[in-house]
Amino acid sequence: MATFELYRRSTIGMCLTETLDEMVQNGTLSPELAIQVLVQFDKSMTEALETQVKSKVSIKGHLHTYRFCDNVWTFILQDAVFKNEDSSENVGRVKIVACDSKLLTQ
Amino acid sequence: MAEQGLEGSQPVDLKKHPSGIVPTLQNIVSTVNLDCKLDLKAIALQARNAEYNPKRFAAVIMRIREPKTTALIFASGKMVCTGAKSEQQSKLAARKYARIIQKLGFPAQFKDFKIQNIVGSCDVKFPIRLEGLAYSHGAFSSYEPELFPGLIYRMKQPKIVLLIFVSGKIVLTGAKVRGETYEAFENIYPVLTEFRKNQQ
Repeated sequence: MATFELYRRSTIGMCLTETLDEMVQNGTLSPELAIQVLVQFDKSMTEALETQVKSKVSIKGHLHTYRFCDNVWTFILQDAVFKNEDSSENVGRVKIVACDSKLLTQ
Repeated sequence: MAEQGLEGSQPVDLKKHPSGIVPTLQNIVSTVNLDCKLDLKAIALQARNAEYNPKRFAAVIMRIREPKTTALIFASGKMVCTGAKSEQQSKLAARKYARIIQKLGFPAQFKDFKIQNIVGSCDVKFPIRLEGLAYSHGAFSSYEPELFPGLIYRMKQPKIVLLIFVSGKIVLTGAKVRGETYEAFENIYPVLTEFRKNQQ
């Protein structure tokens, strides 16, 4: 199954990448295996978000910029409010990158 | 924008608008030739507020906030600008889009700007008997309430299409200059008064 590499830029993805880099440099891990771990990370993130995450967040803000190119939506919101069941947080500026997961199964 | 703002405060020129009603311009569609080939993907990636989905439509869809308009930008360099409320605003918006394309590094020019369509609307503030109107102006009218609740009136001179609704709301489309919109409305107004529906 093909996956997006989108989540590699998340905090957890960056930490994993850094660790793998370190291990490759130490010689404790082969570069091929490091790549394989990252590919597994892509799959696991997609699966986890699909099956394990039940909570919903609503994001509302002033749309400063949008773009749709190569099937990727990019939104820049100003003065956004992130809300879930029990809390809400204001963010001055936020960038949302969204891909259509349906395209992977086609 | 300014002109519309004045409508309320300034008296209507009754020589030009004997009905006393001035249709409000709602949408202007214009075209211009930027006269250079464009790389639509490069435009979509660099410009803000752009959409490009070549599987669905072979143009970049771009929007600006002032004047609030939408442009369709084609690889040939031809551009369509929609949504402006006046001819000048449409031209200003088209110039802004051309400038954006220039800033992205294309040698865009501004050739053959043309207003292609003007849509106006107004409210005569009385209900209208559409069946009666359709019957007596059969050559110009199409009224099929099961398909569309308005009467479609295809005026020949000027060549304008009017949508006339029972409520007295009127939409006029097909004009290349606003004078045609005004003329068409002044032509139809006496007919509308003739088919005014008496309130029960």
